Amino acid sequence: MQGRIIVISSGKGGVGKTTATASIGAALALAGKKVVVVDMDIGLRNLDVVMGLENRIVFNIVDVIRNKCKLQQATIKSRRIDNLYLIPASQSDNKDAITPQDMVRVSKKLRAEFDFILMDCPAGIERGFENAIAAADEAVVVCTPEISAVRDADRVIGLLYAKEITSRLLINRIVPIMVERGDMLSHQDVVDVLSIDLVGLVQADEDVVVSTNTGIPLVMQENSKAGQAFTRIAMRLNGHPDLPIEVPRAPKSLWGRIASKIGFGK
Amino acid sequence: MSGETPSVRVKGLGNSLWVTIAPDAPIEAVQSELEKTFEPLKHMAQVVRVVLNAGDDKNGGRYHQFRSYLEKTFGLKEIVSPGEYAASQEASRTTAPPAPTVVVRHKETETRKNNSTFRSTSDTVLMAGRIRSGQRITAKKHLIIMGDVNPGCELVAGGDILIIGSLQGIAAAGQPNNPDAIILSLDFRPTQVKIAGLVAAGLPQGSQGRFEFAHIENDVIVVDEYQAANPFRRMPWPIIR
Repeated sequence: MQGRIIVISSGKGGVGKTTATASIGAALALAGKKVVVVDMDIGLRNLDVVMGLENRIVFNIVDVIRNKCKLQQATIKSRRIDNLYLIPASQSDNKDAITPQDMVRVSKKLRAEFDFILMDCPAGIERGFENAIAAADEAVVVCTPEISAVRDADRVIGLLYAKEITSRLLINRIVPIMVERGDMLSHQDVVDVLSIDLVGLVQADEDVVVSTNTGIPLVMQENSKAGQAFTRIAMRLNGHPDLPIEVPRAPKSLWGRIASKIGFGK
Repeated sequence: MSGETPSVRVKGLGNSLWVTIAPDAPIEAVQSELEKTFEPLKHMAQVVRVVLNAGDDKNGGRYHQFRSYLEKTFGLKEIVSPGEYAASQEASRTTAPPAPTVVVRHKETETRKNNSTFRSTSDTVLMAGRIRSGQRITAKKHLIIMGDVNPGCELVAGGDILIIGSLQGIAAAGQPNNPDAIILSLDFRPTQVKIAGLVAAGLPQGSQGRFEFAHIENDVIVVDEYQAANPFRRMPWPIIR
């Protein structure tokens, strides 16, 4: 078995890398794949919190690299989903605790054990970023429809390209009403600037906050628009690349629905 | 005997390495000796020509054995026997000297390891593709880009900057002191433009760009629509910029 290493990156902080990692990981695991999500944000870990596993951490990735424990000892099994595992980051070290070479070495072991290895990249393009992308086969660049996020994503795409890693774009936190009003960049505007393949569009969703606070995976919440979008993204990563991309639309008002029924409007 | 004379001796010879292998040395000893020599060279070994003297020109059994070992293990491309080497030396002496080669200056390009800075020593740089945030492109003279220039990148040229696509980054033409330089783009909405020593801020983000060019007029940077202005119309004769 040779697992695929996918790094989830963005450059800018707070665009939803960790949420995306947890959700895509959960969706892939629900689809029957053996998945490990690795928190690479050493010193500022929070993937464990998002997954509701912070009280089970004994060892972390830095311990694995320093040979203080075996890989299996640092791997925490998800409470809710079989096949989903987490390797947490250390909270007491900083990014210099490990090197890209260390990651290549550990990744070899991970590849042999898992189908998918998702690396949750820290914000920034320094050492933490270099560690996270060292062994990656492909990348998902998360971007929100804001000019600053697009700018940073552009830089990250350039850096990934220089390392010969193909990146695909995930546009997160789209607010369809604002896009329709013209107050927010549309996904097309973002794609025009970044010009890479889309892997999915996720709309802003209150359920994300609920999921983050409770540790219940987003993709297990029924009726969550973002959860469904992440499930489709996982399918695209998992051998269905041609699954059509759904553009988030604002729900129509009652009058709008009646109008479209009788043939007015869109 | 192998205890006294080394099993492998290496000597530089012009642009080649002359490798002499003791005829009676055990194969393992020779291979470990060769490894010590060629392993540190890594990829450099692939471009070197090796003259392999295995000491048995008559049947060539050891020669072919070591030759295939060297090719497989270290990826050496050119291995010749002493006889072949002597023949090639003879041939090069009798043939006419090679014609003088033309030095192509445009090939002298250098990219930094993170690919974010591109500097060319050739006069004019013609590039195709999207220039992304964080990249810096420097040209000694003119810079022509077929593709879009994203915000956050920097173009620096000694002469003109022509962009067949949209310009959203920072463009500095005529650096350091050529006020005749222009900056032209099919979709002109830069963050900032500089020509010679003058700087002008671009329009706020989101405005629609047109086919425009920036140039200096009365010590101010002016942006005009290219087709309406057609700045080179009045030139009676084409000149080299």
